[in-house]
Amino acid sequence: MDKLLRRLRYLLNRRRFDDELANDLEFHREMAALAGGKPVGDPLRLREEAREAWGWTWIDRLGQDLRYATRLLRKSPGFTCAAILILAIGIGANVAAFGFFNLMVLRPLPVREPATLLHFQRQAPAGYASVLPYPEFDFFRRHTTTLSGLIARSRGSLQMEGDEKPLKVHFVSANFFTELGTSATLGRLLDPTRDEAAGADPVVVLSRGFWQRRFGADPSLPGRIIHLNGKPVTVVGVASDETSSLALEIPDLWIPVTQHPHLVAGSKLLTDYSVESAGEEVWGRLKPGLTPKAAEEELRSLAAALRAEHREGIWENETLPSEPGGYVTSILGRAHHGTGTKDPSEIVPVASLIVALVLLILAVACGNLGSLLLARGVAREREISIRVSVGAGSARLIRQLLTESALLGLLGSAAGLGVGQLIMSGLMSATSTPAWLDPSPDWRVLLFCASMGLFSALLFGVTPAFQVVRQRHRATRTRQILISAQVAASCVLLIVAGLLVRALTHASADPGFEYRQVVTIDPELGNHNYSAAQARTYLDTLQGRLRSLPGIEAISLSSAPPFGNKTITMGSEFDGRVLKIRMNNVDPLYFETLRIPLRRGRNLAAGDPNSLVVSQSLAELAWPGQDPLGKPFDVAGRQHTVVGIVANAHVTSQQDKSAAEAYFLATEADLPSMVVLVRTSASPESLVPTLSSLAKALDPRVMPDVQLMKNSFQRRLQGTQYGVLSVGILAFIALFLACLGIVGLIAYAVSQRTKEIGIRMALGARPANIIMTVMRQFAQPVGIGLLIGAGAAAALSQVLRKILFGLGPLDPVAYFSAIGLFTLTVALASLFPARKALRVDPMQALRND
Amino acid sequence: MPKKEMPAGALVLLILRVLRSGPLHGYAIAQRIHTLSSEVLHVEEGALYPALQRILLQGWVTSDWGISETNRKVRFYELTPAGRQQLEAEMSGYDRVHEAIQAVLRTA
Repeated sequence: MDKLLRRLRYLLNRRRFDDELANDLEFHREMAALAGGKPVGDPLRLREEAREAWGWTWIDRLGQDLRYATRLLRKSPGFTCAAILILAIGIGANVAAFGFFNLMVLRPLPVREPATLLHFQRQAPAGYASVLPYPEFDFFRRHTTTLSGLIARSRGSLQMEGDEKPLKVHFVSANFFTELGTSATLGRLLDPTRDEAAGADPVVVLSRGFWQRRFGADPSLPGRIIHLNGKPVTVVGVASDETSSLALEIPDLWIPVTQHPHLVAGSKLLTDYSVESAGEEVWGRLKPGLTPKAAEEELRSLAAALRAEHREGIWENETLPSEPGGYVTSILGRAHHGTGTKDPSEIVPVASLIVALVLLILAVACGNLGSLLLARGVAREREISIRVSVGAGSARLIRQLLTESALLGLLGSAAGLGVGQLIMSGLMSATSTPAWLDPSPDWRVLLFCASMGLFSALLFGVTPAFQVVRQRHRATRTRQILISAQVAASCVLLIVAGLLVRALTHASADPGFEYRQVVTIDPELGNHNYSAAQARTYLDTLQGRLRSLPGIEAISLSSAPPFGNKTITMGSEFDGRVLKIRMNNVDPLYFETLRIPLRRGRNLAAGDPNSLVVSQSLAELAWPGQDPLGKPFDVAGRQHTVVGIVANAHVTSQQDKSAAEAYFLATEADLPSMVVLVRTSASPESLVPTLSSLAKALDPRVMPDVQLMKNSFQRRLQGTQYGVLSVGILAFIALFLACLGIVGLIAYAVSQRTKEIGIRMALGARPANIIMTVMRQFAQPVGIGLLIGAGAAAALSQVLRKILFGLGPLDPVAYFSAIGLFTLTVALASLFPARKALRVDPMQALRND
Repeated sequence: MPKKEMPAGALVLLILRVLRSGPLHGYAIAQRIHTLSSEVLHVEEGALYPALQRILLQGWVTSDWGISETNRKVRFYELTPAGRQQLEAEMSGYDRVHEAIQAVLRTA
C-alpha cells in the first residue's frame, strides 16, 4: 500500500524526481573526475535505467507511440479518413442501439426517487391484466403498510366546448404530481388534500404543450373555468415540460380520477370491479428499507382479503407482481388483459435481433479495416525493416502498431458517437417521442462508445499487427479469412433485409378481405353513456341515412373491425390444446361488406343468437379432420353452434398467422360499442367529411372517429417499413464495405503478381485465363463466407418469426435473391481491378523488378 | 587488484549496511563500499542508482537535500526504520547462507 502511494507520488512529481536523479549522477561524475576516474556509460541511458524501478516508463513509451501514431495518421489523410468513416458507421450503429437501450432500460425517468417506484400488474391462474379495478387500488391504498403511497392513472378522452377533436385525458389519483415530484410551470398542480374528495370542486391541470397550443400560453389562465363534456372545470395550473407523466405520450389534461363520474356520464370506473372496460394503472412508492418482495407479499394477502368480500371482482390466487416503475420499460406496454398466461414479451427477440445486426455491421467494418491495415503494412515494409534493423524488438513494434489502431479506434468512436446521435435524434423525431426523453449521451453512452472503439481496435488491429511485424503480409491466408468474415456478415444483413422486404410485401398483400374501399365510423357511443336501446336508434338512423348516399355498396356493424384499436382475444381449450381466438361481434352483412367469402354452411342470421361462424383456420385448428359444422362452442357459459365457415381474414395485418377468428351475432348489449363499416364504390377519401357530419348531426355530443381502412392498414405496416428501411440501409452499407474490401484485395493481388501475369501473357495465355487465375483464389473465401452467412441468417431469423407475418424464416426467395445480389455485385466490382491484370505489358512486367 | 563484480542481491544489502551509520550521498555510498572492501568491490553508477531507486520505492531509505564536502547541493540517503528491519533480516539471512556455503567449501 505504502509502495503504491510512493509510486503514485513519483508519478505526480516525475519531473522533480528526475531532476534530482540527474543531479545525483552529475555529482557522482564530478566526484569521480576529481578522484581521477573516467566516466563510464551514457548518463541519459543510466537515468532511464534507474527510473525504470518506479514502473512508469510505459507512460513515456505510450506518449511516444501516440505522438508517432498521430504523425503517421496525419501523413496519410486519405487512409485516416477512410478508416474513421468505416469505424464511424460500425460504431455509430452500435452506439445508437445502446443509446436506445440506455434510454429505455438504464436511465431512470425524470421523477423523484425513481428507484423506489414500483409498477404493479395483476396475475392469477385465471388471467392477467396490466390494470387494476379502481376499488382494488383504493383498498390497497387504505390498507398498505409497505408502500408510502399509491398512484393510479387511467386514460380517457373528454370533449372540450368548441373543439373539433376530443382531448387526451389522464385521470389520476390526486397524489400523482406530488409523488412524482413534478413542478408546475404556472399555477399549482393537483393537491391530495384539496382535490381528492369526490365532492371537491372539479379541477384540471394542463400540459404545457396543450396550454401553448390551445390557449396561446396565456399566463392568466389559472382560475379560469373551461367546459369539458359540458361540465364546468376550473383550471388550476400547467405542468412543466420535463414531466414524464409516466407515459410516452403526454396527455392534454390531468384530472383527479375521483371526478370521472362527474365528467363522464354513466361512468362506473370508481365502483366497477371488472377491468374489461377500463382500469387503473398502478404505481407504488416503496417505504425506505423494504424490498419489492415485501410489498408484493402484502398486496397478495390484501387481495385475498378483498376477495372474501368481492368474489366476482378479485381473481382466485391473485398476485400483484411488481417491476421497477422508474424506467421507460414500465410505461412502454399498452393496457392489456386476457385469460390464460401473458404472452412473452415481444421486445426481447426484436432487441436481440437489433443487437445481432449492429454487431454484424461492426464486424464488417472491422474486417474491412483489418484488410486496409494489412495493405498498409506492405507500404510500410521499409519503415518496419529499418526499425527492426536499428534494434526495435517485435514486442515494441507490435505495441506501436496497436497504439496506432487504438488511436484510430478512439477517433472512430468519437465520429461514431456523432453518427449514433444523428441516427437517434433522426429516429426520435420521426416517431415523435416526448421532449423529456433526452437522447443526448450520458456517461454510460460515452463509456460504451469509448470501449467500443478500443474493442474494435483489438478486432481490426491485432492480426495485422502481428502479420506486419513478422513481415508475413504476403501470406494471403489472413486476408482470405477477413474476406470470408466480411462476406458472411454482410450476407446475413442482406438476407435479413430480404426476409423483411418479403415479409412486408407478404403483409401488404391480400389480408384475406377487401379493405381498400371501406371506411369505418366509430361513434364511441359507450363513452357517451348510450343505453342499448338508444344505440339501436342511433345506429339504425345512421345506417338509414348512409344508404341514401350515392355509391354505398354495403354497411355493417362490428365490435372489433380489422386494423382497429380493439381486439378481443380469448384463450379456449380444445382437447387439451389452448387456442388463442379473436372474437368479433358482427351483424350478418359483415362478410359481404369486407368481401370475406363463405366457404361452407351458412351466414349468421338475425334472430339466431346462438349460431357462430368460424374462420377456416380456426376450424382446422379446433376440429382437425372433423366436420366443424354443428360443433358446439362455449363462450362465457353460453352454448353456440358452428353454422358456417368463412375464409381466413388477417384482421391484425397478418401478424396473427393462425387467423383463428370466431364471429358471433352482435347482441343488443353490444350495440353501444359497435363500429360502423361502410363499403363504397366511389373514392373513400371523398366520403369522409360526409360521413363525419352525418354521424355528428344525429347527436352533437358524438365525436365519431372516421378512418379509411386502407390508412389503418398502412399504419399497421409502418413499424415494419421502418425496420425494413433501417436493415436495408445497414445491409447496403455492409455490401458496399465488403465490395470495397474484395476490390482492394484483388487490386493488391494483381500488383503482387504482375510478373507472373506478364510471363503467362508472353506464353500466350488468353485474357479469360488470366482473369480466372487472378480471381480463383477469392472464389473460395467468398464461397465459404456465403455459406457461413446463410447458416447464420437461418439461425438468426428464428427470432424474426414474430414479425415475419407468417412468412417462413427460411423463405428461399429471400435467401437466393440476397446471395445472388451479393455475388453479382462482388463479381462486377472485382472486374475493375481484374481488368488491370489484362493491361499488364509483358515486356514491361518482366523488365521491371 | 582487479575490480570484482558485485554478487547479485548483495548490492542492496551493502547499501543498507553502509547507511546504518548515518546518511550518505550516492558517491559516498560507492566509495564507502569500495574502501571497506579493501578496494575489491567496485560499485558502478549503472548498478548503484537503479538499486537506490528500488530501495526508495520499497521505503527502506528516504532522500533529503544536503551539502557535500565539495560544497554542492546533493541528495543524501537515510535509512528508515523499515530499512533497518530489512537490513537485520537480510543480514541474518546472508549469514546463514554464507555459513552454509563455507561449510560446503570446507568439507567437500
